[in-house]
Amino acid sequence: MDRFFEALFLGLSSGAIYALVALAIVVIFRGTGTLNFAQGEMATMSAFVAWIFDDMGVPLAISVLIGMAFGFLLGAATEVSIIRPLQKKSSLAVFVATIALFLGINALTNGIWGTPPEESLDSLFPNDPDDFVRLLGTVWRYTSIGALVVTLAVTALLFLLFQKTRFGLAMRGVASNAESSRLVGIPTGRVLAGSWGIAGALGALAATIVAGNNGQVTPTMMFTVFVYATAAATLGGLDSPGGAVVGGLLIGVIENVAAEFSEDWVGQDMKLAVALLVIFVVLLFKPSGLFGTAKVERV
Amino acid sequence: MPIQVKQSSPGHWVIRLVWAAAVVGVVLYIPARTQLGTVGDITVAIEFAIAAISLNLVLGYTGIISLGHSAFFGIGMYTTAILVVEYGWSPGWTFYMAAAVAFVVGCAVALPALRLSGIYVALVTLSLAVLFPILVKWNKLEWLTSGPAGINGVAYEEIPTWPFVGELRGRESAKFFYWLGIVLLVIAYLVSRGIVKSRVGRSLIAIRDNQTGAAVMGVNPALAKTLVFGISAGVCALAGSLSALRISLANPDNITISLIGSITFLLVMVLGGAATLWGPIIGALVYVLIDTRTRKAGTSGEGIINTVFNEWLNFKTSPASFVLAVIILIVVFVAPFGIVGLLKRLANHVIVIVPRPAGHAGDVPVLATEASADVEEAPTS
Repeated sequence: MDRFFEALFLGLSSGAIYALVALAIVVIFRGTGTLNFAQGEMATMSAFVAWIFDDMGVPLAISVLIGMAFGFLLGAATEVSIIRPLQKKSSLAVFVATIALFLGINALTNGIWGTPPEESLDSLFPNDPDDFVRLLGTVWRYTSIGALVVTLAVTALLFLLFQKTRFGLAMRGVASNAESSRLVGIPTGRVLAGSWGIAGALGALAATIVAGNNGQVTPTMMFTVFVYATAAATLGGLDSPGGAVVGGLLIGVIENVAAEFSEDWVGQDMKLAVALLVIFVVLLFKPSGLFGTAKVERV
Repeated sequence: MPIQVKQSSPGHWVIRLVWAAAVVGVVLYIPARTQLGTVGDITVAIEFAIAAISLNLVLGYTGIISLGHSAFFGIGMYTTAILVVEYGWSPGWTFYMAAAVAFVVGCAVALPALRLSGIYVALVTLSLAVLFPILVKWNKLEWLTSGPAGINGVAYEEIPTWPFVGELRGRESAKFFYWLGIVLLVIAYLVSRGIVKSRVGRSLIAIRDNQTGAAVMGVNPALAKTLVFGISAGVCALAGSLSALRISLANPDNITISLIGSITFLLVMVLGGAATLWGPIIGALVYVLIDTRTRKAGTSGEGIINTVFNEWLNFKTSPASFVLAVIILIVVFVAPFGIVGLLKRLANHVIVIVPRPAGHAGDVPVLATEASADVEEAPTS
């Protein structure tokens, strides 16, 4: 049972990160109906920006906030300058543009910060060797608990934003029918730019947590996280924020339990394969995910 | 007022002959007059061109978003490597096997994936691309793929002597792989052209533009899509086989068989021109040009690329991918059909090929380069 709780907790804490990025994916998908393949790379870049300020001696929490602000601006600017004009052309053009952004930002971070020594970033949470509590026979480190708490807090904040504010109402309106929303006077442009901005900030937060847990910012750190997050968003339903969180935590738990109890077949190397298998299975049997709305096509 | 030339009139044939002569001229010129390094670079371009042609079949013409073609490239690479090294096959025969294996895998992936649409297919194929390098490293498959070490020594024991090309041994073998690449490229081009210019191709374009409409008109979308995906996978595997023989190893960390490979194929195709027959070839040549230029700029310390990336941004790696990404972002705005689409639009100011009226008896194929403008409708997914 100890092994199970250990895997469960490991899964929840890494799942929390996936959930954050999955939330970013979902926020954008609800807004513009696109999957932003550059989400992970944008987040990495924001983490580097946070590191730059941290390196200059700015307190860590402030640096992370600056990184998130950068992520917000990067996301919003991308929506305004690239995605919006291209959506008038074709959805394929938007897809190609996000792929090009992925490659471009990846090359940029690799080129500027690529070679060791890599940039070190402290964790937002206490991360000394003795910073843990014992619960249910396993070690629960503060960094992992922190990631979990941050994810839940962010989810709660997003829920309040979506359900209790005018902006959230506008976002929900645009998600359900962009054209009608525009007709009733909702500034759809600002709402969409805002969605991309929020997604960028969420990604930045996730990236700084990942970097803090690893101890350093590396250009490739968000790639697998992004793949896990797409698996999480698919599992939860691409248009369901709650689904993204549940999906992220589930994916984290599934991969860690699989790795723990099937060391021979899965082990550490095949964890990602488990997540990818989840994408396959979910899309085969329930393409709209656990909590997503099934798409009905009108002919 | 542009000159008007009727399709299949003598004037049209003259244009075709001039075009064909120019292409043959370039193909002959490269190994005869350029350095071996350039021949090697062009061979890399040929590999990308074959992969991009195969991707164009599914994405450009049928509108299926595939991010999984690096896996098919890898299947080609590993099939050849395993058959040559473990089973002692002659390399030439492994191409058939590689294409066959990739065809089967392609169809198998396509069957479930094609129940989905648009972005969901992209997700399934994305997982395929990410899964492939993990699978070949998996310890349960080590007996077949040699795990993380990869397979070394994939090579011709003796490079065959071809008529007209002659004996190409030692350093000259770069030219042999160039010619092998040309043969495969011609095959890939003919397969793609054969599909696109036929009844099947028209049904694919119909599926891309309006699947429901196509189904109503009697096209079987599931069958057509599955087959074209399988064929595309088979063609892509040819490029992988060539690559394995050229670099004489199959390595799980090879960047081309990771997701980056799929992305590069896709961008090469978009750069040259989606849904055009020559687009992938032109795109691959331009991509390799960018790659070699930026690589040189990174070391020689000259030129604007070097100034921007080495002195201003202090780049530590080759900026090739970054430059490619920026160019693509410009291309999707100004030239939705890539370089070839742009050239066609310009050429249409000078000369216009008037297509024969529809319903004409007999079936003379349309010349690839001057395909009429009606093919150029925006692909939707």
